[in-house]
Amino acid sequence: QPLPGGAASRPSVGSSILVSPRQKGNPVLASIKSTPWEYSDIPSDYVLGSTTCCLFLSLKYHRLHPEYIYTRIRLLQHRYLLRILLTLVDIPNYEEPLRELSKTSLVNNVTVILCWSAQEAARYLELYKSYEFASAQGIMGARKQGYAEQMVEFVTVPRSINKTDAIALVSEFGSLRRAVNVVAENGGEERLAGVQGWGEKKVRQWKKAVEGGFRVQK
Amino acid sequence: MSSASSAPQPVKLSLPLVYQQKLFEELRKEDELVILARGLGLMRLITNLLHSYDAAGNNLIVVVNAEDRENAWIGEALAEHAAVSMSPKARGLTVVNTDFTSVGTREKMYAHGGIFSITSRILVVDLLTNLLNPETITGMIVLHADRIVATSLEAFILRIYRQKNKAGFLKAFSDNPDPFTVGFSPLATMMRNMFLRKASLWPRFHVQVAQSLEGKKKAEVIELEVPMTDSMREIQTAIMECVEISIHELKKENTGLEMEDWNLDSALTRNFDLMVRRQLDPNWHRVSWKTKQIAGDLTVLRGMLQSILALDAVSFLQQLDTIHAAHKPAPGTTRQTESPWLFSDAAQTIFETARHRVYSSKQKANANSTLESLKPVLEEQPKWAVLADVLEEIDRDLYFEPAVRDDSNGTILIMCADTDTCRQLRDYLQTMHIRPRTAKKVEEVYDPEEDKPSGAFLMRRKLRNYLNWKREFAQVNTVLFSENQKALSGAVDPRLPQARGRGGAPANKRRRVRGGGGVGSNPSRLENGSIVQHFEKPNEVADLMSEIQITEDDTNGQAAEEIITFATADPLEDMDDYYQLYDMQDLVVIHAYEGDQDEHVLEEVKPKYIIMYEPDASFIRRVEVYRSSHNDRNVRVYFLYYGGSVEEQRYLSSVRREKDAFTKLIKERASMSIVMTTDSHGVEDPESAFLRTINTRIAGGGKLAKATAQPPRVVVDVREFRSSLPSLLHGRSMVIVPCMLTVGDYILSPNICVERKSVSDLISSFKDGRLYAQCETMFQHYKNPMLLIEFDQSKSFTLEPFADLSGSLRSVNPENAGANDLQSKIVLLTLAFPKLRIIWSSSPYETAEIFERLKALEEEPDPIAAVRAGLGEGESPEDGVNEGRGAVNGGTFNMEAQEMLGKVPGVTPKNIKNIIMEAENVREVANMEVPELSRLVGREAAVKIVEFFKKDVLEDV
Repeated sequence: QPLPGGAASRPSVGSSILVSPRQKGNPVLASIKSTPWEYSDIPSDYVLGSTTCCLFLSLKYHRLHPEYIYTRIRLLQHRYLLRILLTLVDIPNYEEPLRELSKTSLVNNVTVILCWSAQEAARYLELYKSYEFASAQGIMGARKQGYAEQMVEFVTVPRSINKTDAIALVSEFGSLRRAVNVVAENGGEERLAGVQGWGEKKVRQWKKAVEGGFRVQK
Repeated sequence: MSSASSAPQPVKLSLPLVYQQKLFEELRKEDELVILARGLGLMRLITNLLHSYDAAGNNLIVVVNAEDRENAWIGEALAEHAAVSMSPKARGLTVVNTDFTSVGTREKMYAHGGIFSITSRILVVDLLTNLLNPETITGMIVLHADRIVATSLEAFILRIYRQKNKAGFLKAFSDNPDPFTVGFSPLATMMRNMFLRKASLWPRFHVQVAQSLEGKKKAEVIELEVPMTDSMREIQTAIMECVEISIHELKKENTGLEMEDWNLDSALTRNFDLMVRRQLDPNWHRVSWKTKQIAGDLTVLRGMLQSILALDAVSFLQQLDTIHAAHKPAPGTTRQTESPWLFSDAAQTIFETARHRVYSSKQKANANSTLESLKPVLEEQPKWAVLADVLEEIDRDLYFEPAVRDDSNGTILIMCADTDTCRQLRDYLQTMHIRPRTAKKVEEVYDPEEDKPSGAFLMRRKLRNYLNWKREFAQVNTVLFSENQKALSGAVDPRLPQARGRGGAPANKRRRVRGGGGVGSNPSRLENGSIVQHFEKPNEVADLMSEIQITEDDTNGQAAEEIITFATADPLEDMDDYYQLYDMQDLVVIHAYEGDQDEHVLEEVKPKYIIMYEPDASFIRRVEVYRSSHNDRNVRVYFLYYGGSVEEQRYLSSVRREKDAFTKLIKERASMSIVMTTDSHGVEDPESAFLRTINTRIAGGGKLAKATAQPPRVVVDVREFRSSLPSLLHGRSMVIVPCMLTVGDYILSPNICVERKSVSDLISSFKDGRLYAQCETMFQHYKNPMLLIEFDQSKSFTLEPFADLSGSLRSVNPENAGANDLQSKIVLLTLAFPKLRIIWSSSPYETAEIFERLKALEEEPDPIAAVRAGLGEGESPEDGVNEGRGAVNGGTFNMEAQEMLGKVPGVTPKNIKNIIMEAENVREVANMEVPELSRLVGREAAVKIVEFFKKDVLEDV
């Protein structure tokens, strides 16, 4: 949680990204185009919402000043709920620093987000700002709408069955219930194999998928 | 080594050819990697080898990486051998796959010994939990050695085996030399993965092989080149043109794509879609939506190249219709979602020509003109006539020169590519002497020659079915895609007119018009001259139907009558059902190529004549082996192929490729130097090795070692054994404890729980909301949940899309996440779970390093606690730990079924568990009614589920 004092000193974050003057000259700033931003005296590099802040780290810089980022994190104290460490991967041998940052993120409560260009970094900043009040609905499983899509999604779970096969299947049997039940019927496999484009392999996979048990049989 | 060598047993082998015996002796003597050219009898060699060990008894031999079919074959062959050589000690093959579940049973079986074929996922867990002690294994036989790469499960198995057991034998087999030639010193690398020192190569041109097969008992082969019809060639050319268009589009979008050597010939010879895929693969998560679609189109086009040869004219048209329906744009999309090839003139040619092969109709069909203007054409496959000729020739041959007494049956064996073709040929042979008696109007279409066999009857029947199907399909189509059409026609999208690019304009317009319904039947559609008209001419279909209807009555009556006469009078009556008991003497057997199984077919059928309806290089060798193995059987082979077709090219190139691969391998073997250690990760520290042995023994159980320096331990979900990470962690001297976890994939410490997602997993689990649910449960049970985003070794380590990022934010709103990119979803996730830590790893190797570091100062995790997390009341964690052994197989592993269930509308990540606990499989759920389901998921969801399964696309809405 942000400290109450911190919240008071920033009356309202408003609709713009707050940028620390330290970031002056960072090409990321030039790429922030769709969201307004302004300089402000803040402990982090960017403030993206009342509970979200962001530190920017270029791995190139990190290689030269490995202690820098730890000082910055320390300065954040325990403010902000979501503390992003926006890391620009701009050196070819990134492996070692990334291992180190993974460990740091655990110890110091920061969330590492990698980006590969200033544009991408700017996009992350914009996204965080614009999603400040967004609900998580978008990642809670947006279902496909409409029977055709849902049906295709369902039928194409077994790997070798594709969209064309799915449509051929329902048009042969009419409903999914019948298409599922056909595997248990006498000569059902023969009938399935007769569906346009369905070979033995697909029939076998379909059978396995709909007849295979969900659980361990003890 | 096995006790077999010390106590030789009289063993009867069935290896008639010199090279086979030679190879067998070699294998008995030492461990090696055998690469045998396809069709030279690899399975026979393996079964003989296994039998020689089996007969000795007192062995524990593990067969790794065998497929179901091979298991069946090995099982049968071993039983047969055992009976023939009457070895009392032989115990045959025990297959351990998903059907065996109980840990206890497996333990007993292993203790009893014998030959086991074990699914890799089960085997690795059994070895890790010491249920199957590696030291007790006499030897391992590895099939499909070509699939074993350093990070694969099989390589992991071999490493565990070799670490603890240096004495047991290890023999690897492959009949696919291709994968051994890719990369830098591939053969040496592969051999190092398998801890083998010696490679034994047996191409077809090996001196001993050639001598064995090319003696005086050579099989007689007659090649028949069949020309394609003009329209077939036309369609083939048009498809190639579409391929070219698609590739051109790809190049435009992805400048890095290397397609310089691309020309139309290479489309004929190679799997071009795979080639493109392979090039795009490192960046697959970054390429645009359109690129993905085009890559998919290429696969479709390649399928068409094949089916133009394999399918008859009517089925091909039907397939085109289905393909076309499946490629309609999704509703509400404002992007240019069409596949580019569909807009080309070539596509037009494909659809038009395919239709004209079936029926010709003047475009302006109306009620008055139908009977004159619509007439079935029904072009037949050229191979059919040739096939009939060949059969006739054989018939004559048999008649004039009565069979020389020999061991083979008089059977004629027809081999073709798949069961579909089998069915097609069966139908053709059954009906080729039936004359359709048609209405006078269309009579002139048919060949007046009465005796000539023709597929006319078959084709007419197919056409009738097709027209019926089409009527239904039009219905299905409207039910399925009514939303699309509404969306399309109603789309108030000002951008669309400008959006359509070069060439696409008229097509686009056409689509929009079509969506309006009713307009489609308007004769004015002619001006578009469209591809889509296939579905939009109800009246034309109706006309055709009525036309065919006239003939249907008499043909039907005719057919019934003729089939009877056919059954009694036709000299070829015994041709039809090959699975009935007929006298083998004069039977026609139609069979599909099935790899190694074909040897069985040859042995059982003992054919005198073989007609290869489609070329297959390995089958020719099987015939050679068959012929050379039997002194007294004469075989004549007819070999049919379409000249200048994909089929011919593919056959030639497969032969050439195999030869090249072997040549390369021989060269590499000659210059290879191998330094071998038993451990692939260098010399092992004896102390850590010691500690590890101690700990693995108790890993599956509850007792923890009280050693002062515990080796690092990771609890791993059994489902994770599909990835290479457990193997790599094991390689870094960590103890792997396989368990059945409800929460998380890897438990590094009592606090740290990691959910691993590859980039593609990440995308899909964002889409269905799985990741959100997983994060929720992780936070309920662990202090430090982490999301591991793991990139593939070979993939580029970036998420940045190729597209221009600037300004794209405008079009993105958080509510409509469907169209959003990965970045915005990661943002939403971190906003929803601010305490979630993200680990970015460029490869599984990196992940292993990171895990080691994360664990460094933490306590070791407790397997029981890890399993308990997320379990409900009354579920015993002990089960979970044991299930680490037991549940590898069985239903919990059937992710596919669960995934399918998850796709059903109404099923959510929350209520899915209730259904899984109650219902057995998808079929059971599909048959449940609302009251039953309401109990599990509540009424609202239940209604949705039942509606989904019950919805009938054939009924009117």
